[in-house]
Amino acid sequence: MKVILKIALGIIAAIGGFLDIGDLVFNTQAGALYRYDLLWAVVLGTIGIAVYAEMSGRVAAVSGRPVFDVIRMRLGFGFGLLALIASTLVNLLTVAAELGGIAIVLELLFDAPYNMFVVTGAIALVAIVALLPFGGLERLFGYGGLALFVVVATVFHQNPDWGDVAHGFVPSLDSSTLYLYFVVGVFAAALMPYEVHFYSSGAIEEGWTEENLKENRLNAILGYGIGGVLSVALVIVSGYLFHPLGVEPSDLGTVALPMQGAFGETGLLLALGGMFFCVGGAAIDSSFAASYNLAQFLGWEWGRYQGPRKAPRFTASWLVFLLLGIAIAESGINPVEITEYSVVFSVVALPLTYLPVLLIAGDRSFMSDHANGRIAATLGWLYFAVIIVLSLAAIPLLLATNGGGG
Amino acid sequence: MRKEGEIYVVHRLLDEQICDSEGRRVGRVDDIELRGDPPRITALLVGEGLYPRRLPGWLARTTRRIVGPETWGSNALRIPWEEVDELSSTVKLRKKAEDLGLGEGDDPGRWFVRRLPWN
Repeated sequence: MKVILKIALGIIAAIGGFLDIGDLVFNTQAGALYRYDLLWAVVLGTIGIAVYAEMSGRVAAVSGRPVFDVIRMRLGFGFGLLALIASTLVNLLTVAAELGGIAIVLELLFDAPYNMFVVTGAIALVAIVALLPFGGLERLFGYGGLALFVVVATVFHQNPDWGDVAHGFVPSLDSSTLYLYFVVGVFAAALMPYEVHFYSSGAIEEGWTEENLKENRLNAILGYGIGGVLSVALVIVSGYLFHPLGVEPSDLGTVALPMQGAFGETGLLLALGGMFFCVGGAAIDSSFAASYNLAQFLGWEWGRYQGPRKAPRFTASWLVFLLLGIAIAESGINPVEITEYSVVFSVVALPLTYLPVLLIAGDRSFMSDHANGRIAATLGWLYFAVIIVLSLAAIPLLLATNGGGG
Repeated sequence: MRKEGEIYVVHRLLDEQICDSEGRRVGRVDDIELRGDPPRITALLVGEGLYPRRLPGWLARTTRRIVGPETWGSNALRIPWEEVDELSSTVKLRKKAEDLGLGEGDDPGRWFVRRLPWN
């Protein structure tokens, strides 16, 4: 019974931790511009992260290796370094975007200037990380993020034409570059690599072994699956409300408006509260991911479980990444713009970090009986092909659409 | 995995995480020394001074400018193969890191570590 409860709590934390500022921005914009037409891309991205997270969690539990350990092993020093630099740049942009997101939500809630809240938010995060153990961090932000189920409730309150919604799940391609740009964006927002880097290192932090494989599978499939439902709901509420009006949401405040429309003040507060925890959790995950990656690549001691005394370089690098994130967020660039760049560049860097995990997950000399079976291998390689195509298309589309500006 | 018999050095040994006898992570296998005929593994080479060897052209030169020239005993260490205890999910050593000159970067006595606010 205790085991089931523990697994259930893990899944709930995964659901709440699924969304971040990238999902909030891209899904809302996708709905406003293309109503329900991009729902299939959300589903494609959600299955993608479930596949990638399941594999890397399994590799961590069975072989004791987190993602960047595996990257250094399979890509060697040179290409591994390339993967490290690319991932670190993307993670830094993500940290900045999430810190900016926290500040915007606080600004909306408390009506004080954005710049002040970037710093206060970051200081609060450092205090929370210093006080809570690893599991506590996951739960605090995961459970808090569940407030975003108000988005699902809003869908039912709006009661859209369900036939139209269902139609959106059928993949369709439009020749417009802006549409293709949003296909990449919505997919990439669901499959942000820092989530997987954090997830696999978290498995080591919590001392996972082969006995946690069931938990791993349920977290990946149910946790991320139900998290994907939140993403789908974001597209629908935005498509229902903004698309007919021709509104183009360009700030985070707009994301919460449909919930206010449906449930008044309560809806607005739940939406903003849920966003705060999702974005705050993502700020921690992405900044941790950056230091996990660096420490694992160079062979340093790492982990929240080691504490700052045993892992000084890891902890110091985390603080440095957080400071750099603050600097970018304070630079005056619109956080929504930073978000778009972090999401689009993340898909460019993705193949380099995905391939080594796929190789080790299928390697019996590392994984023995837990190597990829036929289904995992087929899905794994299929997604590798999808990721390659999207990563090649991402930059040209970013340039052709002028950063999604049309 | 046993450390005697055949070892696939690129598949299983190069770039592997190294842990000391107490389980501390103390670096990665940056290069491998082979000697004799037929060649046998005689040592693992560890340290940032070896990074330029692993990189092409200008990148190697830039990295060398950052980490300094390869200096044995300082930024490049030789861990004799006899000091390796077992090969599992890491390369486990028989001794504590400080006895082999490893793990200095996370050493509490080091100037940079001493200056951190929590120490």
